[in-house]
Amino acid sequence: MRTTRRKFLKWSSVGALGAVVFGGCTIPESALLVQSPVRMPEDLVSGLEAWYATSCGQCGAGEGIIVRVIEGRAIKIEGNPDHPVSRGKSVAMCQAGLQSLYNPARLRAPMKLTGSRGSGQYQEITWEEAYAEVVDSLRSADPARVALMTEPLRGTLGMMAGKFMEAYGGQHLGYEALERTTLKAAVQQVFGAERLPDFDIDHSDYILSFGADFLSSWLSPTRYNRGYGEFRQGGNERGTLIQVESRFSMTAANADKWVFVRPGREGEVAVSIAYVLMTEYAGAIDAAAANALTGGQGATVLGTFTPEAVAQTSGVSAERIRELAKALAEHPNSIVLGGGSAGATSNGLSNLKAIYSLNHLIGSVGRSGGVVFNPASPLGDLPAEGKAGPFEEWQGLADRMRGGQVQVAMVHGANPAYGLPTAVGFEEALNGAGKIISFSSFMDETTRWADLILPDHVYLESWGDDVPEPGPGYQVVTFQQPVVRPLYRTRAFGDSLLAVAKELGSSVAAALPWATMKEAVQETALKLQALARGSVQSGDARSFWNAVLQRGGWWDLDAKGERPAEGPPALPTNAVEPRFEGPTSGASFFLVPFVSNSLGDGKGANLPWLQAAPDPVTTVVWHTWVELSMSKAQELGIKEGDELEIEGAGGRRIVAKAYLHPGVSPDVVCIPTGQGHTHYGDFLVGPDVSRFQNGVGTGRGPNVFAPLAAAKVEGSGALAWAANRVSIRKTGNSGRLAKLEGPVFPDFHDVEAYWPIRKPESSH
Amino acid sequence: MVSTPRERKWQMVVDADRCTGCQACVIACQAENNIPINSESHFQQKRAFTWIRIERYWEGEFPEVKARFIPFLCQHCDNAPCEPVCPVFATYHNNEGLNVQVYNRCVGTRFCQNNCPYHARYFNFWEPVWPETLRNALNPDVTVRGRGIMEKCTFCVQRIRRGEQDAKREGRDVRDGEFQPACAQACPANVLIFGDVRDPQSRIHEFLAKDRRFRLREELGTETNVIYLSKLDLEAKEVAGHA
Repeated sequence: MRTTRRKFLKWSSVGALGAVVFGGCTIPESALLVQSPVRMPEDLVSGLEAWYATSCGQCGAGEGIIVRVIEGRAIKIEGNPDHPVSRGKSVAMCQAGLQSLYNPARLRAPMKLTGSRGSGQYQEITWEEAYAEVVDSLRSADPARVALMTEPLRGTLGMMAGKFMEAYGGQHLGYEALERTTLKAAVQQVFGAERLPDFDIDHSDYILSFGADFLSSWLSPTRYNRGYGEFRQGGNERGTLIQVESRFSMTAANADKWVFVRPGREGEVAVSIAYVLMTEYAGAIDAAAANALTGGQGATVLGTFTPEAVAQTSGVSAERIRELAKALAEHPNSIVLGGGSAGATSNGLSNLKAIYSLNHLIGSVGRSGGVVFNPASPLGDLPAEGKAGPFEEWQGLADRMRGGQVQVAMVHGANPAYGLPTAVGFEEALNGAGKIISFSSFMDETTRWADLILPDHVYLESWGDDVPEPGPGYQVVTFQQPVVRPLYRTRAFGDSLLAVAKELGSSVAAALPWATMKEAVQETALKLQALARGSVQSGDARSFWNAVLQRGGWWDLDAKGERPAEGPPALPTNAVEPRFEGPTSGASFFLVPFVSNSLGDGKGANLPWLQAAPDPVTTVVWHTWVELSMSKAQELGIKEGDELEIEGAGGRRIVAKAYLHPGVSPDVVCIPTGQGHTHYGDFLVGPDVSRFQNGVGTGRGPNVFAPLAAAKVEGSGALAWAANRVSIRKTGNSGRLAKLEGPVFPDFHDVEAYWPIRKPESSH
Repeated sequence: MVSTPRERKWQMVVDADRCTGCQACVIACQAENNIPINSESHFQQKRAFTWIRIERYWEGEFPEVKARFIPFLCQHCDNAPCEPVCPVFATYHNNEGLNVQVYNRCVGTRFCQNNCPYHARYFNFWEPVWPETLRNALNPDVTVRGRGIMEKCTFCVQRIRRGEQDAKREGRDVRDGEFQPACAQACPANVLIFGDVRDPQSRIHEFLAKDRRFRLREELGTETNVIYLSKLDLEAKEVAGHA
């Protein structure tokens, strides 16, 4: 790997960027908007660029980035060439972080509600007033009736938030719109692994993926795109990728073969493959694993999963199942992955367990080109896993709030009012809380109900650290430093926690002894220094600190994860039937929501670059669309751009424009996540002529989470977001779908006229 | 202009077999080159542009469907059809193999756009506007193009120039891989390889030697400096290298 930009990395001295927390409002806001020429940091030279290494806060994978800063302005984000997860590379989401920093809709100062809740009438207050109010609320509340809702926090901030709520006595609940709960449960049960493993696709020669859209947004997009390049054209023979999925995803689009499977039937196909492997390729598989998977009774207990039987229910032909089993047996470095919609039906956990169990059979557990395990955090109290409560816990919290049992609800980095189905009634429940305090940088759907807002810095202005999840198979801690001065009168969430803890006194103050977030992060660095191993070692605390900031982190290639000793649990002997909610009569379809490549779970929806980044498969921009099969559309008389009313369980409806798609099964409709914000801070982009401008963030088509039924994945309690059936109806309105493909560019259907496709010289 | 110690010729290899269509290059280019934000209306009018775009082609019908991704950017043709038609010499070929657009000569006839077989040249129909705060992220190395001006991929000439200046200041020749265009830098799957073909040590030669190489619309004789490596498919008819 080339590390061409390493020479540009400059370490930040304390004088340059140390002053993160401004003392109240003594500095007028206008002076903070850009670097004031009379307050130049000492390493600033006009016209010269400086590169700072920090951690990416966009997709939650904890990648290392470097940021180009010229005269106090962040100009460009690139992957940190040294960092084990990004290795100099990045995806669209990382690049667009600049628009998060410079977003016009950022909240600029602490605010207190003056009107009624939801009225949007706020008055700016000082930080001291804001802290006093938080402290008052927490003092007068019963700690058991206080809830802190955050994104899954890792690293020092995760440790701090955990300690704060432990010492205070309230409930801390992590929120993920796209839960990894089911995946984590499956990995834990199948491999005995406490942490998400790394899937070493770089060195695989055959990937069988069930629903895991790993090239788009699944787990760690930069890492898997990087691995994919190596998998295809790295040093080894070109690998083969097979995607078994209900939707033609971006990964399916890049696969050598996309195999359509009926929603919820992925597990049956996996068990059927296991059955074929055990009966026809017994010599090529791990006999001990086969024994464990059948409970010692031999393949006959899986007799209900013959390819012929499974073909009936799954829609995957018996020949295809045999073919997949044969390929798995023949390739020495194959790997099986599962995720996405495969783990989000009512039987999602059972599906993922069956899918990942195949890795035991083909011997890919704990080897190069297979499932590589991640070690525990290098420091005992530094969380390496972002804890998130499953959907059922959120339902529980909503019920408690609705019943008036929550006196203070604090929220940071989470937007459950947007991501939870309206069936949960979260917004109404939230209003049952006595006091709502938000630490959000943006006025989102949850923050809009807040009584008090203490806006956080964005990640490019904050100190911190992170443990990438999933890690690369060894211990990594990414360090985060501010690359620009805070633009507004905001404060880092960590610093706010510390200030409040100090005021609360007693055990809470004792649990959080640091004066600033920076100090807490420095202490983490000191503990790493004391380990005296890894990529940065130094006897001197200051040089160690500088070195980890300069390189963007600390990692130890030798501190690898170990293969857990446990064998796999037995496979089910009977199919676990998926259950679907919603209308089954009339023009009824399976609804397969999918994660937007650029907007993710909706967090990126206020960034114009990401809104205007075409969806890789459909090229649609700026909108929610409904993917509908071409044959079905013809039958129903639907054209592209026709507005469709999608009605799910309980009569909940959304309206979105149709996109006719050759890769959709006639009984399925697919809708992307990410759009449909009603509150995310609106501003206009486009040419300065009103009819060509459009708003960013809000008003961009419906939110696919909204009409989902509150169905759960059995065994994990996660939201079963792919367990819905919907009916569709034309509203009679029609409009033009904004997309890249179209008549200006060459005919998108005639590929061979423009460029050749070739067969590899050697192929299996 | 910087004097060059030896003749350089920049080329890019695009390995279509690695491309996943992830759009990282598109956003990286937009960030580096101050490309105006494309609003919904831009797309609806088919006037949205980025200097690099990923085209997606469909093949087959359900369930045997395939999609193909290919990144498109200015091909920096040695025989560039856009160059002779410019009445004001706003577009010309420089001595490093780059097809260059001189913004302040351009009068917006759009003849070049009309003549480009790759749809790689774009016209600014509107004055580009950024919300006040987003302007902070504009790259000071790159001019913001006004209304009525043509623009297109420059191979990130500002990065080339910066690299050449650094090398000159240090009294050495530029090193292979020292700088890359923003798209190639970002691309997580390493689809794009950029280098100087006059440098015999350059890594790009390893890719140029592959038998999957082809040029877009080679029959036009444009002699492009962007060389593609074909996508591989187990079910394709022709074997690589036997076309």
